[in-house]
Amino acid sequence: MTSSSGAARKNLSKIACNRLQKELVEWQVNPPTGFKHKVTDNLQRWVVEVTGASGTLYANETYQLQVDFPENYPMEAPQVIFLHPAPLHPHIYSNGHICLDILYDSWSPAMTVSSIGISILSMLSSSTTKQRPEDNDRYVKNCRNGRSPKETRWWFHDDKV
Amino acid sequence: MGNEEEDEVVAEVEAVEAVYATDCVLLRSFPPHFHISLKPRTADVSSQQFVEAVLEIRASPQYPKEPPSVDLVDCKGLDEQRQKHLLNHIQSKACELSPCLMLVSLCEEAVEKLSAMNHPDGDCPLCLFPLVPEDLQSETLPFMKLMSCFHCFHSECIIRWWQWLQSSKVDSANTDSTPALRNQDNHKKMEDSVGNCPVCRKPFLAKDLDHVLALVGSYSSQMSLDSDEVNDELLQSEDEIIRRQKFEAILNLQKENSGLIEPKKDIVILPGMYLPQPVAVPSSMLTKESDEQQEKDPSAVVSGNGGGTSNATGPSSSRQRNSGARRQKARSDKHSSSTVRNPRKPVQQWVRRDDPSNKK
Repeated sequence: MTSSSGAARKNLSKIACNRLQKELVEWQVNPPTGFKHKVTDNLQRWVVEVTGASGTLYANETYQLQVDFPENYPMEAPQVIFLHPAPLHPHIYSNGHICLDILYDSWSPAMTVSSIGISILSMLSSSTTKQRPEDNDRYVKNCRNGRSPKETRWWFHDDKV
Repeated sequence: MGNEEEDEVVAEVEAVEAVYATDCVLLRSFPPHFHISLKPRTADVSSQQFVEAVLEIRASPQYPKEPPSVDLVDCKGLDEQRQKHLLNHIQSKACELSPCLMLVSLCEEAVEKLSAMNHPDGDCPLCLFPLVPEDLQSETLPFMKLMSCFHCFHSECIIRWWQWLQSSKVDSANTDSTPALRNQDNHKKMEDSVGNCPVCRKPFLAKDLDHVLALVGSYSSQMSLDSDEVNDELLQSEDEIIRRQKFEAILNLQKENSGLIEPKKDIVILPGMYLPQPVAVPSSMLTKESDEQQEKDPSAVVSGNGGGTSNATGPSSSRQRNSGARRQKARSDKHSSSTVRNPRKPVQQWVRRDDPSNKK
């Protein structure tokens, strides 16, 4: 599945580059627990491996997050999706899109890849059922043309999970 | 517990109230229980204040034989580590001073500690580079703090974010109104809008940023992403590329002729000298354009000559022109991406000069 945003992506701005390099260094020195950054030479797309926390439904399961950075990162949020197969979770669609407010409306430039990762891991950890969102089929069908989750108008139903 | 001792403690609490006045919120006189809001000693210059704490001091009836408990109710500008450090320090001081009366000394100790810690901590949350670099060699960028939460940012970083926010708000609000209206709206919004701290989302007023805007005001317009985008658009428009190539051609001609722009006469044209015309579109459009311009703009005559002769000047000049155009393009690309940090006059000139022709 290649769901990089449909539109041609512009190169990172100088500011975005500096900031990402800084994040990468920080990540290498002090990676968030449960995460592994798969090293590539592509600063604009990170693939991050996340392992479910022990004692949760996803314990010892490993998934891959793909993080794509826009030209104006960190003003704009990165696009974060799970690569196939996406974990079974009430807020994660089978195409890997994640319904999490901080990735869209509630993004703040003070957030980092680390903090996003921690939020996603905590979202996984607090889940009590392994199931797809109710509207999974409809949503995934709508996204067939490779639409980015950032173009979705998200409704953030609940904050329980 | 004798009444005398109790009186002493009550008198001490009164003393605390007297010293700290409204900064002290008394919850109970005996056994003493109060909140006290403390600031570092900065001679009340709020711009120099980067930390602040509210302590809760609660004593048992056995006070002062038993040290009071000290907690942090609220604080600004202190990360967890510094909070812990402050609290540990006050608590150990309390143990040390027991069994003497110590309420005022504890508060003063906290003020002392806050004064020592009164500097912004760590990195700018937006660019992740240190606010105050540890090594003195690197240059310290001006930074600012939000008055509501004391979170600090490089001035440039937060202004860039703020302007990005404003422009995206305006964009989503009215995409089809005229630029002039949009500017007005933008300005109006700037005045009475409220933002949320990127770190803690605590609301702050736009006027909190006013002094910073004024400080960087001289170049803030050039710094904004908005104008950067405009530059980008302009610099990549076909007209602009053609214009650039045209100027480059003239410049090269000038260089070759040591400043004199005359069609080359002494060139010998040999068979096979013609190379594929590197800038085919411009040369045709260029002559057309320059014809139009010739009437009103005397300097355009020069450019007309440069363009017109380009066919006859032969390979050497056309090759140069080609590489020149490429060089120029690369340079301008660098411009557009670096205007944010290093606004340069030339970029502005491109914009200004091109404006009227765009409206036509």
